[in-house]
Amino acid sequence: MNVILEARDIRYRYPGSPEAIKGISFHIRRGEKIALVGPNGAGKSTLLQMFNGMIRPDSGTLLFDNEPIRYDTPSLRQLRKRVGYVLQNSDRQIIAPTVYQDVAFGPANLRYDDEAIRTAVTLALRHVGLEGFDRRPPHHLSGGEKKRVAIAGVLAMDPDVLVFDEPTSGLDPSGSEDLMELLDELNHEGKTVIISTHDVELAYRWADRAILLLDGRILHEDVPDIAFGNSEHVRKAHLSIPTLLDLSQELGRRGLLQPDRKPRSVLDMVDIIENLLDRSCDNPRSGTISVYNIDEGCNIPLDTLVPNLKDMVVGAMGTRAKQRANEEDLALEFTYGVIDKCILRALRGQDSLILTIGSMVERIAIRVEAYCEESGNAINLVFINTALPVLKGGVNDGEAGQKDDQY
Amino acid sequence: MFETNLDSVAQQSAFRHIHPGTKLVLALGSLIICLVSPSPLVPLISGIVLSLVLIIAGRVTPRLYGELLLGPALFTMMSVIILLFMLGGGEVLLRFNPVPWINLTITTEAVKESTLVLFRVFGCSVSLFFIALTTPLTDLFNGMKRFGIPIEIIDLMMIVYRYIFIIHDQAVEIWHAQVMRLGYSRPVEAIRSFAMLCGMLFISSWVAGEDLIRSMDCRCYDGVFPSLDISEPVRMRSLIPVLLYLSGLFGILLALTTRVVVFS
Repeated sequence: MNVILEARDIRYRYPGSPEAIKGISFHIRRGEKIALVGPNGAGKSTLLQMFNGMIRPDSGTLLFDNEPIRYDTPSLRQLRKRVGYVLQNSDRQIIAPTVYQDVAFGPANLRYDDEAIRTAVTLALRHVGLEGFDRRPPHHLSGGEKKRVAIAGVLAMDPDVLVFDEPTSGLDPSGSEDLMELLDELNHEGKTVIISTHDVELAYRWADRAILLLDGRILHEDVPDIAFGNSEHVRKAHLSIPTLLDLSQELGRRGLLQPDRKPRSVLDMVDIIENLLDRSCDNPRSGTISVYNIDEGCNIPLDTLVPNLKDMVVGAMGTRAKQRANEEDLALEFTYGVIDKCILRALRGQDSLILTIGSMVERIAIRVEAYCEESGNAINLVFINTALPVLKGGVNDGEAGQKDDQY
Repeated sequence: MFETNLDSVAQQSAFRHIHPGTKLVLALGSLIICLVSPSPLVPLISGIVLSLVLIIAGRVTPRLYGELLLGPALFTMMSVIILLFMLGGGEVLLRFNPVPWINLTITTEAVKESTLVLFRVFGCSVSLFFIALTTPLTDLFNGMKRFGIPIEIIDLMMIVYRYIFIIHDQAVEIWHAQVMRLGYSRPVEAIRSFAMLCGMLFISSWVAGEDLIRSMDCRCYDGVFPSLDISEPVRMRSLIPVLLYLSGLFGILLALTTRVVVFS
C-alpha cells in the first residue's frame, strides 16, 4: 500500500487567533479508511481543509501522491479533482437550483463535454441511489438526500480521496448507518476515505486507523482498538471508550477474556462469549446465506427465483439494492451491518438472503470466509445469480450461475 | 413559507412535464388578449377557463387557489371602489353626500370601466398564476438562456434562487428562537427583535456567501455554471389544445370588438 497523503510538521494559525495546528506529521495510505477523532476545536476541520488546498499551512509540507502540494491555480484544480471534500452542512455545499446542475458543477468546470457531463452525473447519482432526482430542487430533499447529493457532486469528479467533515451530523441513526455503508462501498471500490467525527462508536467499527487529535496535535494514531483502548488518551481527548471495547476490557479484567481479543463488532463479541461458554458447537446445523446480485440484469421476481424466500430474513447492501427490495415489497430485516447480522442468524440455523449491488459481492465472500477461518464455524454461502468472486484464499470456481460453497 | 409552497405546487403540478414554452404561450397569449380586450367578457372567460384547468386538471387545491386569488382580489376591489367614484360620463346611477361639501356620484360609464378593470385584473392574474403554479423557476432558467438573457445574469439568478430558501430557513429558525424567548411580545420588543433578526440574517448570509465560494472552489470553479440539460420536448398533444384555446379566445375578442364597432 503506497502513501497517498502525507503531512510533515505542518502548522497553521487563523489570523488573530492562537495556533490551530501545532506541528502535525502523519501519512495516509491509498485505500485506507481513516477517522480523525477529537473534541470541538481540536483542529479536525482545519486539517481536513488542508487536504484539498483550501487552507495552506503556515509551515511544514503536505504531500499528495508523494509530491508536495503546490498552491498555484492549475495545481489546485488538479488537486481538488483528485481530493473530493464534502462539507459538514450539505446546504452550504449544494449551490445549484437542481440536483442535476449541482452534481454537474464539478465536471462542467473541469470542461468535460456535454455527453461526458451527463454520463458523470448519471453514474454519480446512481452510485448514491438518487436516480430520477435530476430535476428536484435541493430544498425539497431530506437531510440524508442532501448529503447524498453533496457526495454525488464530489463523486462526479471521480476523486481518489474522499474527505468528509462530520459525515453523520444531522442524520438519524438509520441514515448514518446507510451513509457509512456508502462510504464502505466507495472504499471497497478503491477510494481512500477520510472522515472527521466525534462518534467513537462509529469510528471504532468503521475505521482502519484512527487519529486522535487534541488541541492542534496528534494525541495518538493507531488501529481503532489500540487508539481507543488507552483510557488516558480517550479521557484527555474528551471522548469515551466504545461500548464493545469497554465491555471486552471489563471481561478481560475479570479474567474471562484474553486481553488481545478486541471485538470490533457484535458478531465478534457474540463469538467471544460463545467460546467463553463453549457453546459454539451446540447448533446442529448452520443456516445458509444466499447472495443475490441486483446488477446481473435478472428481472425475475425474487419469490420465483428463491422458493423458500418466506422463511428467510432479508438484508440489502447498497441503496439500489434497498430500492429493488422496495419495488418487490420485500420487508428488509437488515439495512446496515448486513453481513455480520446474516452470519449471526446463520449461526442460529436461520437462512438469510442478501440483496446486493455488484461491487459488494466480493466483500460478502471475503467477510464470510474471514469469519469462518477465524472462528472455525462453517456457513453455507450461495451465490444465486452471480459468479463466486475470486478470493485471495482461492476458494472459488469462477463460473457464473448458482454456486454453493461451504467455507 | 409561502414562496416555498408556491414552488412546491409548481413542482408537483400535473402540467410539470409539459414544455415550459407551451405553458408560456398559453399564459402570455391569454394575458395579452385580456389586456387588449375592450370587453370584460373575454378576461372573464379566460380567467374562469384557466382557473378550472388549474384546479381540475392541474391538481391545484381550490383552497390554495382561493387564498392566492384573495391577494389581488382585495387590492383590486379597493381600486375598483375608488374608480367607481372617480370616473365619470354617462348617466348618474347614484349620488350621495356623506358630508355637505363632498358630492359623490356613480355613473354608468364608471361602472363599465370599473367592471372592465376588475375582470382584466382577474384574467391577467389567473394567466400569471398559471405560470407560477405549473412551471418551476428552474424550468424557466433554460428558456431565459434561449431568449438571449446574459448568462452572468442567469447564473446570479440561479444562485439567488437557491439561497432564497437557505436564508428563508435561517430567518424562520431565528424567528422561532426569538418567539420561544418571548420576542415580539410588546411593540418595542418587536422592533428590537426584528432588528436583531435582520442583523443575524445579514451575518449568516455573509457566512453562507463565504461557504458558497469555498464550496465552488472545492469543485474547481472556473466560471461555468451548468444548465439543466434536460427539457421536455414540445409535444403537439399539448401545443394544439393551447393554440385552439387561444384562437377561440381571440375569436370571441374579434366578435365582440366587431359588434362594438357595428353598434357605435
